[in-house]
Amino acid sequence: MDDSAVLPSGIQQPQWQVDRFIVSTALVGLALLGGLIWLETAPFMVALFAVGTVLGMALYHGAFGFTAGWRNLVVKKRGAGMRAQLLLFGLTSLIMVPMLHSGQEGLVGAVAPVGLSLVLGSFLFGIGMQLGGGCGSGTLFTVGAGNIRMVVTLVFFIAGAVLGSLHLPWWLDQPGFDPVPLVNTFGISGAILVQFVGLGLIAWWVNRIERKAHGNVERGELLWKGQSHGVLRTLLSGRWPFTWAILILAAGNALTLGIGGAPWSITFAFNVWGAKALEVVGVNMSQFEFWTWDYPAMALKDSVLTNIPSVMNFGLLLGAMLAAGLANRFNEASRNRPEGRQFMAAVVGGLMLGYGARLGFGCNIGALFSGIASASLHAWVWFASAFVGSLIGIRLRPWFRLPN
Amino acid sequence: MRGNTMDRPYSRARILVLLAIILVLIVADHLRSPTFAFNSGQGNVETALTQKDETACAPCGAPCPSTRD
Repeated sequence: MDDSAVLPSGIQQPQWQVDRFIVSTALVGLALLGGLIWLETAPFMVALFAVGTVLGMALYHGAFGFTAGWRNLVVKKRGAGMRAQLLLFGLTSLIMVPMLHSGQEGLVGAVAPVGLSLVLGSFLFGIGMQLGGGCGSGTLFTVGAGNIRMVVTLVFFIAGAVLGSLHLPWWLDQPGFDPVPLVNTFGISGAILVQFVGLGLIAWWVNRIERKAHGNVERGELLWKGQSHGVLRTLLSGRWPFTWAILILAAGNALTLGIGGAPWSITFAFNVWGAKALEVVGVNMSQFEFWTWDYPAMALKDSVLTNIPSVMNFGLLLGAMLAAGLANRFNEASRNRPEGRQFMAAVVGGLMLGYGARLGFGCNIGALFSGIASASLHAWVWFASAFVGSLIGIRLRPWFRLPN
Repeated sequence: MRGNTMDRPYSRARILVLLAIILVLIVADHLRSPTFAFNSGQGNVETALTQKDETACAPCGAPCPSTRD
């Protein structure tokens, strides 16, 4: 591919190497699965599969990791990743809160109860993020990009999620109260404003930490630095500035809501995959209360191709694979295979991610990102608890031989 | 160059086998589903193309704490 037309004459662009095998394999996978979804379900599912694919590419090319963003703030006192997340939350809530309350039928926000289950679940998830090496979206896109360690994390993420689904009914009976949509108290504009104030205060705190440590605040991550490559090449092979990733992720979540009727979520699919695997080996999942509730029961009984989080996750995995192939970096992070304590960190972290996500009503995407985009109080509680858990996870990383 | 077998950090065969296994699992799951039965012309099957429970209190379908005994 050649995008030299966008470069000023006389500038020699560096040679662009593409991993043709990975790109071809990802494209064939997208075509096969997309075709199957088209034939067997409905066009809106194909659209969501495509949205998942683009989100996977955006997460990979934007290197949009929630886990590293939080760790960079704590360890290196650098806040670019954190600020990007705050910008993403603000932009998305500006789009999605009015959408959800526009009166259009069939749209449901990501709201959830607030209680012990949420606090403990998100706290465990925060620890798991740092030990497992990624959050919900981070685990998926790095697996798609061929990271072996993250495959281990994903397997135990799924196991933890299923275990959490067995315990969630008990946790729900502990102290807690029904969901609190901020719109009910403040109205649509008021809820957006209150959230902006909250996000602004966090941004101020992040900037203060960074200025105190370095005397300045990094802004470069938001800007496009690949001028020597041209826009098209940067778009296809990365690395994107955070602003591009923010726009795509916000649009992707809004499209997911518009097309599928609910905001973007990831970890519920892990529950379904794990429960289906247990059923194959003879476990009757309907003996557990969680799997008798309407939505989980429907998802378990029917095809994964009719489950929106599953279909979007498939797209995300293949999208990240495609992006890694275009960047010629597939499997790059796996030159050193996880052994010993690093392997143990992936196991323990994965289990905590899965169990925590189920008790906390989702991961950084379903509970935090989509929760704030739905102006739900639970998302803010999730944010605070997961950040505290993350602080502990960061302290535990050296014991597991993980660099900070 | 990453395209050379010597330098490639992964096995092409392993990638293809892994993806094929995932595809087979997805197809196997679909073939035993109500949606496939419905698409094949079998009546009296309840499909769940729009899996949604608008009365639930959380995205995972959990009920509200206030409704629990």
